[in-house]
Amino acid sequence: MSLLPLYPLDAFGFPAGLLVGTLIGFAFGFVLERAGFGNAKNLAAQFYLTDTRVLKVMFSAIATACAGIGLLSGFGVLDLSLLTVPETFLGPHVAGGLLLGVGFIVSGYCPGTGVVAMASGKWDAAWSLLGVMTGSLLFGYVYAPLEGFYKSGAMGSVTIAEALGIPFPVLAAGVVAMAVGCFLGAEKLEAVFAPKLGKTAPVPNPTVRNRVFAGMGAVALLGVVTVALPARTRATASAPLAKIGSVELAQKIVASPQDLWILDLRETQPASAERIPGTLSLPEGTTAAKLAATLPATRTLVAYGRGDLATLPEGLRAFPGEILVLSGGFDAWKNAVLATPQPPAEPTPALIAQFRMKSALNGYFTGAAAAPPPKLVVKAVATSAAPKKGGGC
Amino acid sequence: MQPPAERPFWNPYVAGFVLGLVLLTSFLVMGFGLGSSSAATRLAVGAVHLVAPAATEANAYFSQYVGPGKNVLEDWLVFEVLGVFLGGLVGAYSGGRLKSEVIRGEGISKGRRIAMAIVGGLLMGFAARLARGCTSGQALTGGAVLSLGSWVFMMCVFAGGYLVAPFVKRDWR
Repeated sequence: MSLLPLYPLDAFGFPAGLLVGTLIGFAFGFVLERAGFGNAKNLAAQFYLTDTRVLKVMFSAIATACAGIGLLSGFGVLDLSLLTVPETFLGPHVAGGLLLGVGFIVSGYCPGTGVVAMASGKWDAAWSLLGVMTGSLLFGYVYAPLEGFYKSGAMGSVTIAEALGIPFPVLAAGVVAMAVGCFLGAEKLEAVFAPKLGKTAPVPNPTVRNRVFAGMGAVALLGVVTVALPARTRATASAPLAKIGSVELAQKIVASPQDLWILDLRETQPASAERIPGTLSLPEGTTAAKLAATLPATRTLVAYGRGDLATLPEGLRAFPGEILVLSGGFDAWKNAVLATPQPPAEPTPALIAQFRMKSALNGYFTGAAAAPPPKLVVKAVATSAAPKKGGGC
Repeated sequence: MQPPAERPFWNPYVAGFVLGLVLLTSFLVMGFGLGSSSAATRLAVGAVHLVAPAATEANAYFSQYVGPGKNVLEDWLVFEVLGVFLGGLVGAYSGGRLKSEVIRGEGISKGRRIAMAIVGGLLMGFAARLARGCTSGQALTGGAVLSLGSWVFMMCVFAGGYLVAPFVKRDWR
């Protein structure tokens, strides 16, 4: 069982979370100040390559946190599926990124560093933040015509690791290697560009620098090692899925629909006739996995695809209750429940009972009248006389 | 009382490593990372909500922040950014850098600097809402969990900055 992250695993409540947030923010602000980010000149220098402090701090932070997440999730201590991954919207991310970059060099701050600079007494940062507040209001006022673009290129919470099919810790090690490469390149650029603009290139203590590189590299490599281990998280991820048959599911839907959450995992959401009755409809902009994470565990969750599901989406495992997968998917459901059942060729009481049940289910789910069961062929050896009319009581 | 003497900045790699540990802590404890811009948005929406409550609640975008039973400031990121301000204040004071001033290049007036700060801020405020986060919430946080969109965003931030930097060179000389 994973121990982390604490808050999604209900270790504490919302008010305590706000206190934790203030403390984490305090550390964030303090480190940004010590990094030199309370001064616009240090930030703007990034874009003239005289001092690439922004790249060094930001990319070291990303590489460190990424490698740490890879290592802890590799050991099964941290449940990767419970971490919030910002959703991808390609169009808005490209346009918003370009625009924010322009705002960054024009104002000399980004929103977070602006807060630190304002706390350091820098009035230009206070004005910049006033601009940020006004700009976000502006967005709200022109939201209606922009809504289509704002939601365009939606890909959900997708990580580059998932997109490339590479284990997270391995890609994290790649990020660390890329970061170190960028740093060495950036130091070379500083040596070229700083003198051109009459500045001296910064020379961070190389011993300290190499120790940080070694530390990040060690965490990343340990993370890669966990991929080779039979880690528990990966064991559960590939554990066989519990199945339910179509007929059994149909019976459950008739008898106790209040005990089920039914989720359609097919990529395109079909018309209601092409779905199992009782399937939860997905609100716009959400995914089945996200919806599942919000459902209470008081019911059994039944997931189905077009055919057999080989794996469940990562986020679906965040559902704390029992998860069943419809064996054979919607195709099997069509065959077993929606197709008119054929009467048994050699009727026996057991087969007839089954046929009655199947045609009742077929009638229930298609609206067709249940077919009459075939006559039971009573064998001649049956000795007992036909029951007396009127019964014996 | 004499303010503390000015201390040097940290080695940027050390600062980045420690910042990475703070970010990692946020993920391990809360399950999500850091942010900044949405606290500014909430503050702004809260302000206009005081002036025009009905119109603000009727706005399709603002209605996610304000409405019946919603307190626009009761949010994790608002408290986190309050912490950022306090951490920045303590850092600046103890580092001997707490000083009321306007940071600007040598060749430009105070008025131009403030005008540029406002214009840049406007662009960033708009952009951060469009991209659902800024350098903190998207680039740093999404970058650490390898979110595809966050990496696209980060590359574009640098691209946008480098594209325009030559045109505002004199502001930073």
